[in-house]
Amino acid sequence: MAVQQSTGAYVYSTELLERRWISDKTFEIKLARPPGFQFEPGQRIRLIHEKIERDYSLVSAPGDSNLVLCIRHITGGAFSSILVDARIGERLRFSGPHGYFLFYPSGRPAVLIATGTGIAPFCAMACSGLKNFTLLHGVRSSDELYYASVFRVRTTHYIACLSAESRLPRGTFRGRVTGYLKKNLPVETYDFYLCGRSEMIRDAMAVIDDRFKGSFVYTEIFY
Amino acid sequence: MKIYTGSGDRGMTSLFSGERVKKSYERVEAYGDVDELNSVLGALVAALPGDTDAMVKEIQDIQSDLFHLGAWLATTPDSPSLSKIEKISPAKINTLESAIDRLQERLPPLQAFILPGGHLSAALAHIARTVCRRAERHVVLLREEYISNGVTKQFEAVLSYLNRLSDYLFVLARYCNQMREVNDIPWRK
Repeated sequence: MAVQQSTGAYVYSTELLERRWISDKTFEIKLARPPGFQFEPGQRIRLIHEKIERDYSLVSAPGDSNLVLCIRHITGGAFSSILVDARIGERLRFSGPHGYFLFYPSGRPAVLIATGTGIAPFCAMACSGLKNFTLLHGVRSSDELYYASVFRVRTTHYIACLSAESRLPRGTFRGRVTGYLKKNLPVETYDFYLCGRSEMIRDAMAVIDDRFKGSFVYTEIFY
Repeated sequence: MKIYTGSGDRGMTSLFSGERVKKSYERVEAYGDVDELNSVLGALVAALPGDTDAMVKEIQDIQSDLFHLGAWLATTPDSPSLSKIEKISPAKINTLESAIDRLQERLPPLQAFILPGGHLSAALAHIARTVCRRAERHVVLLREEYISNGVTKQFEAVLSYLNRLSDYLFVLARYCNQMREVNDIPWRK
């Protein structure tokens, strides 16, 4: 049963069903989908624990029976530590859905750019039927290329940008996503979707303003 | 938590509908005015006496409307993202008209032009009124873009809302003076 907050958002109670580590520092949690909870691919939920709240983009597609989140464990981080320690079966609360970081179709080619766990909303979009996009995923090493198999079957333009890998796997780009934008992405007018840390958003925006004039930009910032 | 990205340091900003535009762009001016108006309303609420909860609620409801209106103005009319934003409904305009009528009934008839001022809360209501008029003037400049994209009704509702809000703020300024037993200052030619 959802309860409406004074802000208009609904608060749901859910159960932690599963926690799975997908790299040294990153894990997925699977939550039971409360009855009546609807969302669009790209949206976030806000987990609530006492007075602490954190937003996480949903990895799951709207048609999925559970809700999946992809979370980087930050040493000393208040919320990710709570989720690392939470018992399977524990009740959690969240509000949502939040945000407008949705896919807006147009005639322009779509370029999705993520760093780290910023890949989550793009996974939701791809699993909801989005195709023919270019995806740049910036991470330090190849073990952080979460959901690569999901994207590889949905687009031929999946570009892993590895900034700290000594041996570069075949078909990957050495460097940051902004490096790829500067050197490799053909000059054209695109719809850019950026999701990740503020530094990436700032640097990518500068390249877009200089090199891809007339492009549209949608952003979701992980602070 | 950092609230800055620095992506606007070179004078560009992103509209809600994705376009990168100069911060001096007329659409940015329009929603910037709405943002400024919202801030002045916040100052007005802070200057109201403590026993005006209903009025505070009324003004804060308007502030919420202005958030939606700002997002609407930050979206170009041909964008699919426009459908995601709450519109200014005729009911919102009716609410303002009822509020104007309710306040007006409690005020003596206006005998002359009055100078903006009096109590601090009244002076802030007058500033809000003039910022609202500026917002209206900037919104009018966007008219063709809305009409050519078939968004005429929504656009007209926004204009009506701003026009009515200016009237509300004028009456509210007078009411603020009355509440604090400060006389309106007549204009002396």
